[in-house]
Amino acid sequence: MNKNILFSLEGVAVEFERHYLSQRSLREAVGRKLNGHKSEKIIALNNINLEIREGEHIGIIGRNGAGKSTLLRVLTRVITPAYGKVQVDDSKHIVPLLELGIGFQPDLSGRENCFVAGMLMGYTKKEIQEKIESIIEFAELKDFIDEPVKNYSSGMYARLAFALATDIDPQVLLVDEVFGVGDEFFMKKCMARMQHLMNRGLTTIFISHNVDFLINECDRLIWIENGELMMDGIPSAVASAYRNQDSQLRLVNAN
Amino acid sequence: MILSDYIDKRSLRFTWYYSLSQLKTKYRYTILGYLWNFIEPALYLVILSLVFAVINRMNISDYAVFLFSALVPWRYFEKVVNLVMESLVNGEWLLKKMYVSPFAFPINRLINASFEFLFSIIVAFILFAFLKENWTIHRAIIPLAILPWAIFGFGLGLICAVLYTFFRDIKPLVQMLLTLTFFTSPILFNRSVFEPNSLQARLMDYHPITYLAALFQKPVYEAIWPSQLDWTISITIAIASLLFGVFLIKKYKSKFYYYL
Repeated sequence: MNKNILFSLEGVAVEFERHYLSQRSLREAVGRKLNGHKSEKIIALNNINLEIREGEHIGIIGRNGAGKSTLLRVLTRVITPAYGKVQVDDSKHIVPLLELGIGFQPDLSGRENCFVAGMLMGYTKKEIQEKIESIIEFAELKDFIDEPVKNYSSGMYARLAFALATDIDPQVLLVDEVFGVGDEFFMKKCMARMQHLMNRGLTTIFISHNVDFLINECDRLIWIENGELMMDGIPSAVASAYRNQDSQLRLVNAN
Repeated sequence: MILSDYIDKRSLRFTWYYSLSQLKTKYRYTILGYLWNFIEPALYLVILSLVFAVINRMNISDYAVFLFSALVPWRYFEKVVNLVMESLVNGEWLLKKMYVSPFAFPINRLINASFEFLFSIIVAFILFAFLKENWTIHRAIIPLAILPWAIFGFGLGLICAVLYTFFRDIKPLVQMLLTLTFFTSPILFNRSVFEPNSLQARLMDYHPITYLAALFQKPVYEAIWPSQLDWTISITIAIASLLFGVFLIKKYKSKFYYYL
């Protein structure tokens, strides 16, 4: 376990303000100040301490709204936590698959989007150029690659995004429940590629509600509930604790 | 102050490539695309100069040259402020999903607006040629004279971008202030319409655009070099607004996620 630390979180807390209005306006803000209203806060993550090392395969479980996706957003530095310290190894290509096709612009063609999104993952134009043909081939989009992606079907979109995310040279992959897209054949292709990459030492962090999948694929499981880290350890142990809690809850509800 | 503290390499690569792709896309589906970039400012300039030449009772070709000289940078400035102001909110599709420097989208908008400015400056010079103005060496200063305008527009745009992220209703306010600034500045009318030492003439001395406009009006219309005072005040305004804008972004960037 002397591998490099890729992510380190220390006492991280994320709070959301509950907005009464979907949009903030100056009028509202002044009005609130004058009336002395305080906005309510929702704690999305609380006191999270975590270290993730190179080559780990981590699964994150928890009920809806537990803070799993927020945690991934903290890891990708999209969210800056209100408290605590986040350290991320910037030298690695960290590829988020929070949803398929992030960084895709509807008006740009599939090819252009590969470059734009690829650059956001930290690749240079040359690196993308070298891989573009194999990306197109894997995504099965030969005839459509120069069309604007707004004309793509959701399956085409997802295929291109997955091909791009996994083809160049990802070192860390953050996956948030994205394997429900595409047809069965493409799913199989995706899984085969994921397994190949994981065997090669790719660091992966999965969020999934499919606990059996996580037990099979991961070597460490993290359970988050109400923004707190409940358990962090061997997949089978964490999974059974998670499931027990779940059945206890159901009993309470039934009574 | 190191640049890499403000924007990382990958964000810069993204911004540059994204800007180029946008420019290509904009004109991909229309042959008129590039042509339109010439027609639009030409029409605008011609109509405005006809109307205001009548109001100001000036010789049309003389007035047109005067007007164009400062109107072209003003239009660029206004565009930069507006585009940069909305850049963060419009960049929501990415900013909420993947890490990219908060300066990536503002810089992207600056590049796009500057590209359009190139077209309008060409149009202005074509029109100058028609108006039989004598060409003097002073016009060579224009590539330098646009810099304070660009920096001022970008800085002010950044300030507005932060405000706009938190308060969506400031947009009409900003528009109103820009319009007010425009109509009170000596872009539409020549300062010489006021009596020297009159209140209006003295007020002009306190109008920031007076000095920025002089960077264009003097070399183009009066065929003289801008004064040291023009440069000093213009550059000071530009740098001050840029520093303040950058400061605001740095200060509030961790909050953007929740308000986009």
